[in-house]
Amino acid sequence: MKEEDIHRQVRSAYGRVAARQGGCGCGTGCCGTGRTVESVSLGIGYSEEDLAQAPEGANLGLGCGNPVALASLREGDVVLDLGSGAGFDAFLAAERVGPAGRVVGVDMTPEMLDRARENAKKSGRTNVEFRLGEIEHLPVADNSVDVVISNCVINLSTDKRQVFREAFRVLRPGGRLMVSDIVLTAPLPAPLAESALLYSSCVAGALMKEEYLGSIAGAGFAEIAVRGETVFPLDLIVSEPELAGLLAGGERASVEKSIVSVRVGARKPAGCGCDGTC
Amino acid sequence: MRKNLMEILCCPVCKGELELTVTEESGEEVLEGTLRCAACSVDYPISEGIPNLLPKTACED
Repeated sequence: MKEEDIHRQVRSAYGRVAARQGGCGCGTGCCGTGRTVESVSLGIGYSEEDLAQAPEGANLGLGCGNPVALASLREGDVVLDLGSGAGFDAFLAAERVGPAGRVVGVDMTPEMLDRARENAKKSGRTNVEFRLGEIEHLPVADNSVDVVISNCVINLSTDKRQVFREAFRVLRPGGRLMVSDIVLTAPLPAPLAESALLYSSCVAGALMKEEYLGSIAGAGFAEIAVRGETVFPLDLIVSEPELAGLLAGGERASVEKSIVSVRVGARKPAGCGCDGTC
Repeated sequence: MRKNLMEILCCPVCKGELELTVTEESGEEVLEGTLRCAACSVDYPISEGIPNLLPKTACED
């Protein structure tokens, strides 16, 4: 598939997810497995308190970790959420940074932004905002953000290196990146790697783990640390019949353990070698 | 969007400053308006409080 086709496919898939109420049907979390959004969220690192803090409808069960919990946010921090969706992580971050801080969510799917906007109204918060934008072309000024978070989104980008370069650019020197994402520990068999549906389900676009960490380092980040890693259950991904069909026969065993959810932290060096612009 | 967010916003293409024009507001909150990048000659709309900053170039405008 061409890059622009992938881009369109991802936007349209998540537009459909946003338009649904409750269970998402996307294969990345809550559907076809008899599990609720809440049980999936508790399983990947959110607490009961987190679920209660965000406005109802903000959590679509699309994450693969809890970057907010790992980011050690401080009061007053400026936080940028890449691929903010309906706003769940952004609202949790807004709670942590308090009235002196602010949280900006960027997402390229208009339908997601509509939901985030409704949720912002429900929450009554004035320290969280959303923008329609692309994570490869952030509409955010250089050196203006304390913490960049992202949850199961960067794998969907067709230019992940550019996403990390942009995250580096907007972070203040000493600022931190904290992402949850899907990576692979073995290459996918060809029919899976070429599946558009598996791309929008956060798998076919995933990089090999070393390449993912290498992209973060390549953008200039230091102190890159994998804070956690779990095999992502296939059942959470392949609830769609089309994907189940692709996994018939021996394929299933070969990919069973190679799709992994990682939590990665990194820091923009304080003296960052940016030719004196910071 | 709140006006005090202007300081961390920039053009998604050239990363230059954006100029805010407000057509409807409620206190600090801009509901409708535009964000113009003079360098790119592009206007980014603000609709129902949310800026659309998907990158575009003057020829698409």
